[in-house]
Amino acid sequence: MIISKKTKEQIAFAIFRILGIITLGVLIWILGFICFNGISVMSWDFIFSYPEEGMTSGGIFPAIVGTLYLVLGSIIIAFPLGVMSAIYTVEYAKNNWVTKLIRIMTNNLASIPSIVFGLFGMTLFVNTLAFGDSIIAGSLTLSLLILPVVIRTTEEALKAVPNTYRTGSMALGANKIQTIKRIILPTAFPNIITGLVLSIGRVSGETAPILFTVVAYFLPKLPSSIFDQVMALPYHLYVLATSGTDIEKSRPVAYGTALVLIIIVLLMNTVAGVIKNQFQKNKK
Amino acid sequence: MKKSILTAIVIILTLSGSYAQKIKGSDTVLPLTQEEIEAYKKEKPSASISVTGGGSGVGITALLNGTTDIAQSSRKIKFDEKQKLAEAGKAVKEVIIAYDALSIVVHPSNKVSQLTREQLEKIFTGKITNWKEVGGDDMKIIPYSRETSSGTYEFFKESVLKNKNYMNGILSMPATGGIIQSISQTKGAIGYVGFAYVTDKVKALNVSYNNGKTFIEPTIANAKNKSYPIVRPLYYYYTNLSAEGKSFIDFILTPKGQNVVSKVGYITIK
Amino acid sequence: MNKVLEKFVESLLKMSSAVTGITVLLIIIFLFKEGLGLFKSSTVEKGYTLVVNTQNPVNRLTSVEIKEIFDSEIENWKDVGGSNDDIRIFRFDEIFTMYSDEELGDGYSLLPQKLGEIIQSDSTIIAFLPLKYVPKNMSGIKELKTDIISISDFFLGTTWLPTATPSALFGILPLIVGTLLVSFIAIIIAIPFGVGVAIYLSEIASEKVRKVMKPAIELLAGIPSVVYGFFGLVVVAPIVQKVGGLTLGETAFTGSLILAIMALPTIITISEDALRNTPKAMRDASYALGANRWQTIYKVVIPYASSGISAAIILGIGRAIGETMAVLMVTGNAAVMPHSLFESVRTIPATIAAELGEAPGGGTHYQSLFLLGCVLFLITLIISIISEKISGRKIIKE
Repeated sequence: MIISKKTKEQIAFAIFRILGIITLGVLIWILGFICFNGISVMSWDFIFSYPEEGMTSGGIFPAIVGTLYLVLGSIIIAFPLGVMSAIYTVEYAKNNWVTKLIRIMTNNLASIPSIVFGLFGMTLFVNTLAFGDSIIAGSLTLSLLILPVVIRTTEEALKAVPNTYRTGSMALGANKIQTIKRIILPTAFPNIITGLVLSIGRVSGETAPILFTVVAYFLPKLPSSIFDQVMALPYHLYVLATSGTDIEKSRPVAYGTALVLIIIVLLMNTVAGVIKNQFQKNKK
Repeated sequence: MKKSILTAIVIILTLSGSYAQKIKGSDTVLPLTQEEIEAYKKEKPSASISVTGGGSGVGITALLNGTTDIAQSSRKIKFDEKQKLAEAGKAVKEVIIAYDALSIVVHPSNKVSQLTREQLEKIFTGKITNWKEVGGDDMKIIPYSRETSSGTYEFFKESVLKNKNYMNGILSMPATGGIIQSISQTKGAIGYVGFAYVTDKVKALNVSYNNGKTFIEPTIANAKNKSYPIVRPLYYYYTNLSAEGKSFIDFILTPKGQNVVSKVGYITIK
Repeated sequence: MNKVLEKFVESLLKMSSAVTGITVLLIIIFLFKEGLGLFKSSTVEKGYTLVVNTQNPVNRLTSVEIKEIFDSEIENWKDVGGSNDDIRIFRFDEIFTMYSDEELGDGYSLLPQKLGEIIQSDSTIIAFLPLKYVPKNMSGIKELKTDIISISDFFLGTTWLPTATPSALFGILPLIVGTLLVSFIAIIIAIPFGVGVAIYLSEIASEKVRKVMKPAIELLAGIPSVVYGFFGLVVVAPIVQKVGGLTLGETAFTGSLILAIMALPTIITISEDALRNTPKAMRDASYALGANRWQTIYKVVIPYASSGISAAIILGIGRAIGETMAVLMVTGNAAVMPHSLFESVRTIPATIAAELGEAPGGGTHYQSLFLLGCVLFLITLIISIISEKISGRKIIKE
């Protein structure tokens, strides 16, 4: 039997469609599973209270605050650094071996597994610089992780600014700094923010880099200094899922924690998407 | 933009003042310390104590490095650890806060209900690999262990394996809870966990330390009267203690604190 | 004045752009500095040594022999080249059951003396002692020579027992094999889905479907690895156990399944970009020759994008190899050479995550974990270079 050209096409397309549906199905399965199980413990009380009864009830407030601190800390470090670095490579650097090297290094930094950052953070920040397990050590480690993300998105944003803007500004007598400050950065700003928002999502979910640099199993009080330890959402989920005296009893709290984590990531992705869309509309 | 970042940094830096009391070490003591802090905080709401796991060895190393105030440990401090602390000019003090007994647990469907120490040793060193060799069904034995160098791992090695090494490639779980989880799902599994972790999803075995003459049931009463053999003290180690740390340790030793000990599933010191 | 400011700003920017380079350099320096120290360490635990009676003809033991002696697997000296006598093991702590603290003198000053007497009196003894308390200038006793941990022990050893006393074994081969096995199977599962969805998105799907699928796939990339691990632990592992009729749900295959899902977004996004970059002129030429859409995709678009797709797959492997938390939670972590997909394995990142917290700083165990970090770093570095080379090839052709 000879299968016609048309039938072959239909079969092939059907297969691809099924692959697409399965992929989407897996996502829905994971999200649905977490939401379905997590929603029952979700309440303001869960978000704003401390763990109780050996973490089998109560809330996850200190973990949420801890993650917030780590996000803030790593963004404060990585964002200015990454943006400045991107400005240099796009606006200043000539296309020579130095820029090439920087680009290669940035790519390599992006490909390093997060656990290696954890190792590095532990020897440099925790031990050598003697910060101990602390917010500052954790934030520094995380900031290295998102630096390539910030650099890349900023570079893309800057490259998307039409060259006519630059020449136009220069023609009006502005110098380079003025051009960057008044023209290029404001135009590229929304896209740069997209990178920022995405890295917030990334930082909130990372576990391996903070394992040996900052997290505590339990804190009865919020941290009061950058040299304090914090609890963090992803680590808290890990702890709830694998340790504790009664895993079955702490399951609901684990589902709730996973849901909060997913909501943060969802939110960040949506925000980034909205900003990007807004930006593209404005450009038109 | 820049200004607000700077202000944020300044605010954060000025906040850097008080340090929380840090407790670090054994994962076995972890849930106990955690609940003790909860209870202590009810008495004294201003309490600021953090607790981190990692293993007994890490806690004591942290004490040596000065990165923790109290080291929680599920084994006695080793001679050379003590020496190192002494060399650093630190005299280490020890408090026993509770006792823990290790249960040998298997899947509830397992026919075997008692084992001798010698049998356990052979199972965990890989000499006995099938349940039928110890009176069970014809089924492969899957021993579970804790991660290396946790106090539980070392105590079990010392007490049951008589210092022999575990079999090569034993399944190791990052935390005790994971062992219970896996054993409850795995028919041929065997593992060891603290009393506190035993749930009705697994079966705890009776153990004999006198070659099968008597088998002792792992109950709190048997552990208390020392007839159950696999019992160990849980320690806090410290060098010098703040008022906060001292009052926390004192709290644990009060009847109220010891109530928490039994609630978590450990054995009280008296 | 302006000129000065401009120069200042430029150098400030330059400095910040150098940070990534410096970081990579620092990572290399710190990791290797800690890690390479392992090859200077003796196989016997730091600060300890093995002592025997001088009548004993054995002078040197390998780390495997030491382990087997202390595990009572070797029980007679003749098995390690000595006389036909049963081995008597003496561990340092035993001295405290033989003598009280008072008998050992002030500050344990008499301890070496007492230890020496014990060893002198027994020609079959092997004692594991702290260097500090080895009796000096005492006749009748000698220290055994032991090996320095060698590069081949590390890379070719098949036993990972980093805390075994007196002689730990650091064979990382099972860890490397475990890591590669889990990652490659993951990619084999992920390829049809990843490439298929990429083709579907770039060539077949309507704009409307794309608008839903694209963010969904980005979301898949955004889900934290610990959530994947949690999902794998409570959902996938029990399913694998039941369906496969296995004794155990935490297997290499479970890890591969989870990693496959995690690698999908990388493969889809990069492959799709590559497919979309196929010039319109090439497609048009194909249509003009009478090919339909599928034939065009199959014969023109996919071959054109193949280098991009390969780069995507290789990057996916890179992501899978470095993944830590999810794998740690679902693969069971048994450090043995895997014989099948349905056994537990232990990967390099999981080993680091599980053990680093428990490894006392500066010891051989700690160093070996850093060396594992170096190995991981090099593997991912090579992978990222290969993928760059592959995706770069096309640009040169153009």
